[in-house]
Amino acid sequence: MPFNQKPQKFNAKINAVTIGSGDKTVTIGGENSFPFYTFDAPTENTAKIGVEISDLGLDEFSEGVKAYYEGATTMAEIAQKAAAIEGADFVALILDGGDPNGANKSIEELIEVVKEVAGAIDCPLVVEGCKNVEKDAELLPKVAEVLQGRNALLLSEKEENYKAIGAAAGLAYNQIVGAESAVDINLAKQLNVVTTQLGVDAKKIVMNIGSAAAGYGYEYVVSTMDRIKGAALGQSDNMLQMPIITPVSAETWAVKEATASEADMPEWGSADERGIDMEVMTAAADLAAGSDAVILRHPESVKTISKLIKALA
Amino acid sequence: MALNGIQIFKLTPKKNCKECGCPTCMAFSMKVAQGAMQIEQCPHMSDEALASLSEATAPPMKTIKIGTGDAEFTLGGETVLFRHEKTFVSKPRYAVSLCTCMDDAEVDAKLAAIPHVDYDRIGERMHVELVYVNCSADADAAKYTALVEKAKGLGRTLVLGCTDPEIAKAALEVCKDGKPVLNGANADNYEAMNAVATEAGVVLGVSGKDLNELYDTVAALEKLGNKNLVLDTTGADIKETFANTVQVRRAALKDQDRTFGYPSIVNLVKLAKGDYHLQAALASVFTMKYGSIIVMEQMTYAEALPLFGLRQNVYTDPQKPMKVEPGIYPLNGADENSLVVTTVDFALTYFVVSGELERSGVPLNLVINDAGGLSVLTSWAAGKFSSTSISEYIKEEVEPKVKCRKLVIPGKVAVLKGDLEAKLPGWEIIVGPREAVQLVKFLKDMQA
Amino acid sequence: MTLFDRVFGGNDAVYGLTEGAIDGAIAQYGEDKAVSFPNTAYSLPCYYAVTGTKVTTLKELKEALGVVKTLMTREKRLNDAFMSGVATALCAEFIEVLKYIDGATPYEEPCYGHLADAVIRELGVPLVTGDIPGVAVILGAAPTTEEGVALVKSYQAQGILVTLVGGIIDQVAEAGMKTGANVRVIPLGKDVTAVIHVVSVALRAALIFGNVKPGDAGTLMKYTMDRVPAFVNAFKPLDDVIVACGAGAIALGFPVVTNETENIFRVPKSLIVQEDVSKFNATSLEARDIKIKITNIDIPVAFASAFEGEIIRRKDMQVEFDGSRVDCAELVQTCDASEIEDHKITVVGPEVDDMELGSKNSIAYVVKVAGKNMQADFEPVIERKFHNYINCIEGVYHTGQRDMQRIRISIEAFNAGFKIKHIGEVLYASVKNEFDAVVDKCEVVIYTDPAECTRIRHEVAIPTFDKRDERLDTLTDESVDVYYSCILCQAFSPSHVCVVTPERLGLCGAVSWLDAKATHQLDPNGPCQIITKERPIDENLGSYEDVDEAVQKFSQGALEHVTLYSIMQDPMTSCGCFECICGIEPFSNGVVIANREYAGMTPLGMTFPEMASMTGGGVQTPGFMGHGKHFISSKKFMKAEGGIERIVWMPKELKEFVAERLNKTAQELYGIENFTDMIGDETVAEDPETLVAFLTEKGHPALGMDPMM
Repeated sequence: MPFNQKPQKFNAKINAVTIGSGDKTVTIGGENSFPFYTFDAPTENTAKIGVEISDLGLDEFSEGVKAYYEGATTMAEIAQKAAAIEGADFVALILDGGDPNGANKSIEELIEVVKEVAGAIDCPLVVEGCKNVEKDAELLPKVAEVLQGRNALLLSEKEENYKAIGAAAGLAYNQIVGAESAVDINLAKQLNVVTTQLGVDAKKIVMNIGSAAAGYGYEYVVSTMDRIKGAALGQSDNMLQMPIITPVSAETWAVKEATASEADMPEWGSADERGIDMEVMTAAADLAAGSDAVILRHPESVKTISKLIKALA
Repeated sequence: MALNGIQIFKLTPKKNCKECGCPTCMAFSMKVAQGAMQIEQCPHMSDEALASLSEATAPPMKTIKIGTGDAEFTLGGETVLFRHEKTFVSKPRYAVSLCTCMDDAEVDAKLAAIPHVDYDRIGERMHVELVYVNCSADADAAKYTALVEKAKGLGRTLVLGCTDPEIAKAALEVCKDGKPVLNGANADNYEAMNAVATEAGVVLGVSGKDLNELYDTVAALEKLGNKNLVLDTTGADIKETFANTVQVRRAALKDQDRTFGYPSIVNLVKLAKGDYHLQAALASVFTMKYGSIIVMEQMTYAEALPLFGLRQNVYTDPQKPMKVEPGIYPLNGADENSLVVTTVDFALTYFVVSGELERSGVPLNLVINDAGGLSVLTSWAAGKFSSTSISEYIKEEVEPKVKCRKLVIPGKVAVLKGDLEAKLPGWEIIVGPREAVQLVKFLKDMQA
Repeated sequence: MTLFDRVFGGNDAVYGLTEGAIDGAIAQYGEDKAVSFPNTAYSLPCYYAVTGTKVTTLKELKEALGVVKTLMTREKRLNDAFMSGVATALCAEFIEVLKYIDGATPYEEPCYGHLADAVIRELGVPLVTGDIPGVAVILGAAPTTEEGVALVKSYQAQGILVTLVGGIIDQVAEAGMKTGANVRVIPLGKDVTAVIHVVSVALRAALIFGNVKPGDAGTLMKYTMDRVPAFVNAFKPLDDVIVACGAGAIALGFPVVTNETENIFRVPKSLIVQEDVSKFNATSLEARDIKIKITNIDIPVAFASAFEGEIIRRKDMQVEFDGSRVDCAELVQTCDASEIEDHKITVVGPEVDDMELGSKNSIAYVVKVAGKNMQADFEPVIERKFHNYINCIEGVYHTGQRDMQRIRISIEAFNAGFKIKHIGEVLYASVKNEFDAVVDKCEVVIYTDPAECTRIRHEVAIPTFDKRDERLDTLTDESVDVYYSCILCQAFSPSHVCVVTPERLGLCGAVSWLDAKATHQLDPNGPCQIITKERPIDENLGSYEDVDEAVQKFSQGALEHVTLYSIMQDPMTSCGCFECICGIEPFSNGVVIANREYAGMTPLGMTFPEMASMTGGGVQTPGFMGHGKHFISSKKFMKAEGGIERIVWMPKELKEFVAERLNKTAQELYGIENFTDMIGDETVAEDPETLVAFLTEKGHPALGMDPMM
């Protein structure tokens, strides 16, 4: 008696959202099965990988990442090298320098960086703010304005500033809105509800439901994604059918396992290697839980995750 | 369908004899319903009741024990596909693989590397629990047994990868007391392998060229009376392996197909083929999705740190948050004169807060006392992070050890300031920021 | 003359002018001459938005005028007047576009005339976010320059975008006031037709931000009505043309406030006569329902949650107010909007300066609120926040509530200039900010005069409190139309949904039906949603199709059925926050209740944590249920199984806590006196056998009831 295979069919699907313009676009989402469950339904669009670069240049990056970018001095050159990484689908520019508690760069300065990067590459572009809600509320509308026509994804509008960013990105300048919430299905849904009430097309929203590095409260990420996908597909909840993007690198490269120097932790071995594995393992877990796109930093991580996605497609 | 406690209670003798260890039949019934006890543990259950109950209360997925003593592990016994539905109960166990195809130097290097990774994370020992010993096609019993013998020296529970019943039998002679897994039954050899495994009293690993063959072989083994199995779901490639592993688990838990109600073995050595980063990615995927034994070529610290962290997270009980041990954690080279900062013992809070504190570079003593493993506001609301609990801990544990008399409390419990001042004479109570991300700036401003 | 006559007349006049102007232009340039506004992708934005047709040449403009004519129907109905208003506006746009022929620049500093699309995108974002809370269109010349400038400045200070048309432009210039988009005061032009340039902004905003399809006039007008918070201030004298334009504004949802009294017809909420120009601002904001966010509370000390835990000790205290010794009260009163002057703070009696150092005084503050969505049920919800608000003031300390509050003001705060009236400022700003969904206007009266405090306490406050308590007592599940869900706890208990009813508060004990109702009103997309109860399945069990649907939805399908009154059949789930758990005790045919604080053993053979481990996490465990302490005395407590008569055991402390209410319920329902005496506790029994013996001795009713299972 053979095994009675019972594929799990859903009537609903995740929205397919296309980022970028012209010849080079990527589409994320569109699936009507759990991630990599190709035995239930064929893969609609494979998960996509973005390469993180920062307006702060390369200083904060690990040695291995710096080595890859060697020779690149301007943001334009850095962006081009990022786009050229094997397996990269898009470039994610993070405007870390805008943080009022950090470098506190002016909006004009940051907009210049955005223009330089946008001018240097033609692949799809994701721009992430500095994470300070007040600053992002001013910064991201300006980013949306200068990127008119690029159909870029802007991260992130949050509960505190969704009006400014949602209206600018989603209504005034026709970009994709990245809605970020803090690892909770109801908060994610609520933000999607209010964003659409603003008039933003639900099909122009991508969620960042929050992330964590493996070992750092990651169980909340898993369960939130599991539940979102479950509700989106199983309950046809159209306020949770937005595809999910997860900025992995920002979390994984900040934890002790990746940052501790070899001098401090000799038994742990190569810091770069630790950073890669932390990034790769967290990204793989994110994809298995439901991320439709991940943002990574190390070229080796990008290559590896790209292989994984292809192997499971 | 699983029975609830009330339904089970109705079938108990209702004598409150306490012989099962529970004070009442009701308590016993509730535990059985939860899966925490077996119905057979009641000595007074009628045969009739037992028969009807054991089928109904039998878990959809078997719990399989391997190894002995400290190296004994429980596999399987899962009841849900997603951790938010209830809890994942049996962590996947990682094995590093040895093979008769390796030369001595390679084997010795691996054996030397395995114990290297051994550390504690939030009260859990993190180490490579299993060693997989593979018998390649050209090896003979002597060679394989020698390798098994060598592997056994590490004191880890073994998984023997061997499809030749004779060789397996020989190898088990030297290691069966350690209750290894014999992974080697397939459609062609299952009868012989079953005999070997049963005789040695070890768990048998079963594989098949596809899910149908695996299914039939398991059914055949069950017919022979062996329900002490694990299923090797490794397929020809990554995609097939993932499909097998997920479908086996789903068939058992969602579709109640008990033939597939066994733990799994996923052999990444066959999939990653020497690409260590890809192996890391796969280890993560199968930790998330239904690997019970995950076989790897190596486990360095770089791989272990995220992987064990991930496993610890995914296998926490959603209702029982992870807690860190109460204590004084000196950060950034703090000494007895350094500032005191306190927060709750909820692991997530601790990690986020300590990470930010470390980022600030300011030497300080992070004081954690028992707040029930809840977040700041929740524990405050539950009265577990109160001026009394904080002040008592400070008086008993901190005052004898730390000279500084400045205490920073989370901004969300600013309301405790006055009470703390009253209960901790001589201390300056400083209200910190509401969110951890503001800590770096807060501490820098304080220094200024 | 009627209003209709004036609108129609004005419309006809403008139409005539437009026709003449277009004909003149055709004569001059030929009908193929291009017409367009600069820097817009929306052609003639108003005409395009209303009709969906783009006009590019004079010939097409002439045709468009024909279309406009069809709007000019002359029945004396409201819609005809509105459409004639729209027609007037479109004519104005045609006249204006002619000014731009051949790339002319008809407007010079400081006037803007037509505004580019880029400006709209830029202004649109703060409009959507509320950073620009409104758009004022000021038309004509104010009675005096000073009054005009004061009005413009009052809007500017509130962040409102001001557009100017006509005489007011010269007045503002005369006063030397800076204008321009960057200071949000935009002079459009001196002809009345220039008003179309702000209408053009509103309509393009609808196309860009509202995704309204050009030509879909109905949706367009709904969008401007709902989403563009514009209003018109028109100074007298108003001629027919202006009145016709005003009709157009009203058609778009923009109220017109004017000081004209001659020959004018008041239309409530739409055409408002306000003779006092200094009140234009307040009148306009109220008419357009614009709320101004308060970002800065004007007090001489800091206001932050960091001060919440500050305690003012006697030696550091300037004065105190103590409800336990003298008459005090704090109260929220719902009033009609007309009875309230927003942001008015009155102190009746002595200020802090007049009080002796270290003295004990009376205080009573009444916060009067009004709002379209305000309900008396929200009063206690707002009131409960006073403690938190006042405590956040640096150097001020507050405990207690109702008429038992105590407030201390520190010497330091007093020296910094803190006054009683500042408490009013804090209450005003906090209530307006936090409760903006329900509070439109707020006024604070603070009494420190002892006689007044006595009066307020005994004649106003206490009767109000009594009335509220009475309402709470009479509020039953049957007396309300809806229940509320609460999913605050889903973060750690994913499938749990609390159904909060008047007689069954949330199992955490913290969310009552009134709280849930207020939470829903304040945050309509938040954790508390309305659950209707229109389709009962079994009223005794408390099962409803509506409730089942709601729990299915809010648990993402994890739960299918929930009953409100049974612990045996589909009992309500628990998140883990429960104050108490009740569990079936089969030997006595009743239930045992344990509270979280109780550490010992119960006659079930399980401790609280053991019971909690099987009850929490959003799972349904028949026979066990988490609940709040106050639910124990509810008439709905496991009503389906016979109610509170089933309670056979509780920890002593819990029993004492609920005794009064529980005994009262038992008395009312079953005529049992001192019911709690029949209920066991840990001093009586920790095992079922001893408990049953005790219950038998006491004649506990549960023993004789139908078997629970």
